[in-house]
Amino acid sequence: MRPFRRRGDEIVARLEPAEARIVALLLDQLEQLLTAESEDVAGDPVITRLLPPGHRGDPELAADYRELTESALRAGKADDLATVRASLPPDGGAVRLDPEQATAWLRTSNDLRLALGTRLDIQEDTEPPEDLASEEGQQLAVYYWLTGLQGSLVDALAAGRAGRR
Amino acid sequence: MAGPVAPTRTPEETVEEHGDLDRPWVTIVWNDPVNLMTYVTYVLQELFGYDEPTATTLMLQVHEEGRAIVSSGPRERMEHDTSRLHAYGLWASYQRDA
Repeated sequence: MRPFRRRGDEIVARLEPAEARIVALLLDQLEQLLTAESEDVAGDPVITRLLPPGHRGDPELAADYRELTESALRAGKADDLATVRASLPPDGGAVRLDPEQATAWLRTSNDLRLALGTRLDIQEDTEPPEDLASEEGQQLAVYYWLTGLQGSLVDALAAGRAGRR
Repeated sequence: MAGPVAPTRTPEETVEEHGDLDRPWVTIVWNDPVNLMTYVTYVLQELFGYDEPTATTLMLQVHEEGRAIVSSGPRERMEHDTSRLHAYGLWASYQRDA
């Protein structure tokens, strides 16, 4: 991977073929989860993390909030996901993003990290994996790889905003 | 003849009550182990127009104290702010100001 950086009006990165395939796979998994029937994923901690309660302690207010916001939140995530998929080179290569696409990548890469991080029970002191042979070690490696990718995207976007001042 | 004495209000109380009406609800961001510190700072600037030092201070408060109030105002606006934060994956909720 060549991490995201600003080039003119664009934000660019380069992904290895295997990396692009992993992102595509994670997008598919996220989409499946977000489009699943709600009774099939009720209580799934990843769904709870991606669409959290708006109010703590008052179930009625939390239900109001969900009714008011959930469909728009889901639609936003679906739009972002489609944007990322359309701008992802399926066999690796250059990723070139305009500001709108970059924001979609920012939110979706965060959702992917939240999903993986929740499944892996990531804590603040979780260390990168030493054992890459295990299933969990591999998933943890993907999580840390995504962290690096998203971190570079945040830095590129923040640098652009500082430059606009 | 005097009826029951109407409760008197000091100016301070009036201001306080007015303040309560104006800002009875708050939006809170809670600490979570996944969101990057740089990301939280960026999102707070993006959504609320905070300058970088202000957004960084709030982010550090979330990180160190477990939570920070990032906006306050009427309930409907706090619902809206919470949903904008949820769209970015921040762990947020709204409640009546304590």
